[in-house]
Amino acid sequence: MSGERDPEQSSGSRSPVPEAVPEVLLEVVDLSKSFGPVRAVQGLSLDVRAGEVHAVCGHNGAGKSTLVKSLVGLVRPDEGTIRFGGEELSLRNPLDAQGHGIALVNQELSLVPELSVEDNIFLGGLDVPLLYRRRRLSKQARAVLDQLGLGHVQLRTPVETLAIGERQLVEIARLLVRDARLLILDEPTATLSKPEIERVFRATRDLVAQGRSVIFVSHRLDEVFELCDRVTVLRDGRRVGTHEIGEIDRRALIELMLGEMEGAKAMVEHEHTLPGSGEPLVTIEGLTVPGSVEDVSLVLERGLITGLAGQVGSGTSTILRALGGLVPGVSGTVSVRGRPVLLNTPRRAVDAGVLYVPNDRQREGLFLGQTVQRNLIVARLRRLSRLGVLLRRRAHRTARELAGMAGVPVERLGSPAGSLSGGNQQKVLLGRALELEGTALLALDEPTRGVDVGGRADIHALVRTAARRGTAVIFSSTELDEVLDLADVVVTIFHGRIVSVVPRDEASASAILADMTTSHATGTAAAAT
Amino acid sequence: MIARVGLERRPLGIADYALGAWVAILVAVTVYGAATTTGFLSVSNMKAILTAASFVGIIAVGLTVIVLSGSLFSLALGQTAAVSAMFFLYSVRWGLGAAIVLTLLLGLAIGAVQGFAVGAWGANPIIITIGAAGLLEGLAVWLSHGESIVPPDNRTSWEHLANPVLGLPAPVYVFIAVSILLAVVMRRTRFGRQIYLLGENRVAARAAALPITLLTVGAFGIASLYTAGSGILIGATSANASLLLVGSYTYDAIAAALVGGNAVTGGRGSIARTALGAIFIATISDMLLLRGYSTGGQILVRGIIVVVVVVLTNLRERNR
Repeated sequence: MSGERDPEQSSGSRSPVPEAVPEVLLEVVDLSKSFGPVRAVQGLSLDVRAGEVHAVCGHNGAGKSTLVKSLVGLVRPDEGTIRFGGEELSLRNPLDAQGHGIALVNQELSLVPELSVEDNIFLGGLDVPLLYRRRRLSKQARAVLDQLGLGHVQLRTPVETLAIGERQLVEIARLLVRDARLLILDEPTATLSKPEIERVFRATRDLVAQGRSVIFVSHRLDEVFELCDRVTVLRDGRRVGTHEIGEIDRRALIELMLGEMEGAKAMVEHEHTLPGSGEPLVTIEGLTVPGSVEDVSLVLERGLITGLAGQVGSGTSTILRALGGLVPGVSGTVSVRGRPVLLNTPRRAVDAGVLYVPNDRQREGLFLGQTVQRNLIVARLRRLSRLGVLLRRRAHRTARELAGMAGVPVERLGSPAGSLSGGNQQKVLLGRALELEGTALLALDEPTRGVDVGGRADIHALVRTAARRGTAVIFSSTELDEVLDLADVVVTIFHGRIVSVVPRDEASASAILADMTTSHATGTAAAAT
Repeated sequence: MIARVGLERRPLGIADYALGAWVAILVAVTVYGAATTTGFLSVSNMKAILTAASFVGIIAVGLTVIVLSGSLFSLALGQTAAVSAMFFLYSVRWGLGAAIVLTLLLGLAIGAVQGFAVGAWGANPIIITIGAAGLLEGLAVWLSHGESIVPPDNRTSWEHLANPVLGLPAPVYVFIAVSILLAVVMRRTRFGRQIYLLGENRVAARAAALPITLLTVGAFGIASLYTAGSGILIGATSANASLLLVGSYTYDAIAAALVGGNAVTGGRGSIARTALGAIFIATISDMLLLRGYSTGGQILVRGIIVVVVVVLTNLRERNR
C-alpha cells in the first residue's frame, strides 16, 4: 500500500484521520445536473476510498456518464461539491482534472494510431519540456509500461500494431505518467477479448495496491463482482445504494438497478401486441462481421417488431449497419422476400427494400444545415422528380404529410434541421423512412437515443404504425425499458452472438438483463456450440 | 454539443455581425470609389467590368458545384481552360459547331475522370486536381510541340464568339445565360438537391444511399464543362492559344466563389453568390486599375478581401 508517487503529500487530511477509517480520496456531495428539462443527476453523493476499485452500475440514463463527466470537467454540475484529496474542486475541463490527478479512460480510445507508444504516452503532456530529453522520458515510460504488464512492448512500436487490449493499457500508462490518483474506467472491457480483459484487470489491481483509486463503470456484472471492492448503483439520476461487494449478490444488484420497473412493466397494456403475420419477409442467415458479429440468424416477419437487446459494443448496432449495407466484409446471407441481397453498399440495401436509420443523428443521420423539408424527403427524391426535375409542389406536400405523420411541427419545415430539439430531430430522421413504397425492413439503430420520455412514446407509436402497415421492423437498444416496450420479439445479443430469442410475453426484465450482461449464461454456451 | 440539444433557434453571433459589417464596408468603399474614380461610371467601363468578369465568372460558377458538393476545389481549372482554348482553335478547321461540341465534350471528360477518382476512391480532390493540372500541361506541350495554336486562315467563323452583340461582347451573354441555367439546375433538380445534401454531410449522404460517385463525377464534370466553355471564349477572344492562357484563372475562380461567401466545407452557398463574387472582384480590380494601382497592388487588395471573407464565413459556420 505504499504509494511511491506521493499520494499522501497533497491530501490535506493526513493526520486527523484515525487509522481504522479508510481514507476517502474522492467525495461527491449532492451533485445535480440538468440538461434542459431532463434531470440527469439529482442530489447524488458518493465517496471513493483511497486504494479501492469502486464500481458504478446502473441502467442507461441512470446518470453514470453525467457523473463521470462531472468528475473530469466535461460537464459543469448545477449544484453540489466534489472534494478530492480533501480539496474542493471546481473543474473547468479535462486538462484541469488531470492536473488534479483525476483521469478518464474512455470507451473510445484517444490514442494516435500512427505514433509510437512512447509518443502517445507523452502526447499533450503539460510537463514535457520544449526540448525534451528523450532518454529520461523513455525511462519513465518504460517503468510505467512494465508496471502495467506491457514489458514486451517496444517504446518505438506504432500504437496501431498493438492489440486493442494493449492499447487500452497504453492509454492507462499515459494517464499514469501524469500521476493520476483516481482513474475512471468507462466500460473499459466493451471491446476486449477475455485474455485482454484479464490484463486490464491485473493492471487495475496493481494500481489499487499502490494506493490509487479506480472508478469502474460497467454493465457487466460478472466483472463488477470479480474486480471491485464496493459498488454504487444509480437509478434515474439518484444513488439507490452503495454496498461492499461481499454483501450483495447478483440478483440483488439487478433488482437495485431495475427498481420498480419490473412491477411497472407488468401493468403496461399490451394493446399493440400484434403477432406477426407469420409471413417471413426478411431472412438473415449466418450473418458474420469479423470481430464483432458472429453467426446471427433471424427470421423477420411482416408486421413484427424485433428488438435487439445488447450493451454498447455487443454488436447489435453492427448487425443493423450490416443490413443497411454500411459494413464492409460481411458474410452470411440476407434474403428479402425470398431473394438474396448483396449488402455491400447502402444503395443495394435500399433498392432491396432495407432501410437503415442510423443511431447518430447528428453525424450520420441528418443534414443539420439543410431544412427540415429537405431532410424529410431525402429518401424519395427520385419519386418526387420527373426527368430529374424536382416537383416542388409535390415535394412540399409530401414533406408536410411526413411531418404530420412523424409529429414534427409543420411550421418548422423551412428551418434547418439542426435548430430542432433532439426529439424532433429524431422524428425527422424516422419520418424520412415512413410510408416509403417498397420498404420491406426498417432497421432502426437506437431509435430513441437522447430523446425525452414524451418524444420516446411518440416515436414508439410511429414504429408500431409502420409495422402495422406491413413492413418488418428490427431495432437495437441498450435500454431494457425500450426493448420491453416496443419489441414483439426480444433477441438478446452478447459479444456479437445471439444469447436468447424470446417472445415479449415471456420476456422478463431480469432475464434479459442477465442475458445482456452475462458471459456464462447457458444461452451463450448453447449459441457457441 | 450538449448545450445545443434543445436549442430551438440560433441567435446571431459576433461572426454574423462582423460579416454584415464587412459587406457594408465593401459596399461603402465601392460606392465611394465609384463616385470618386474618374471614368468608372461610364458605359464603356461597365462593359469592361462585365467582360472581365465573364471569363472567370463562367469558370467560377461551374466550380461552385464542386464547392457545394463538399469536394473543396479543383486546381486544374486554368489548365483545363487553356487546353480547351488550344483544342478549340485547332479543331475549328472541322467547322465551328463541331469544334464547340468536341471541346465541351473534352472538358466534360477531363472533369468526369477527376470526379470519378474523388468520388469512387475517396481521393483527395486537391491532390487529384493538381495531378490533373500537371497532366494536362504535359499533354498540351507535347501535342503542340510548345507552340501556340493559331486557327487556320480560311476559317473566321470563330470570331463571332468574341464580337459584340447589341453592344456587349458575346461572353457576357454566355456568362449570364449559363449562370442562370446552373442556378436553376442547382435549385430545381434532384441532382442539385443531392449535391447540397452531399456537401452538407457526406457520412449521412452515404447512409441515406445517395449516389455519391455519380454526384461527384457530375460536380467535377460540370465544373470542367463550364471551364471548357470559358476556354472556347478565351481562345476566340485571344485568337491564339498556348499554355500562357493558364494564367491565374484557377485562383481567380476560387476567389470569386469564396468572396461570394460559399461555405468552403460544402452544402451552403449558391450559384448567384459566386456570380456576384466574380462581378465584385472584377469591379474592384477595375477600380484599382483606373486609380493607377500596380498589378501587384490589385492582387494584394484582392487577396485581403478573400482572406477576410473566408475567415468570417468560417467563423459563422462554426457557430452554427
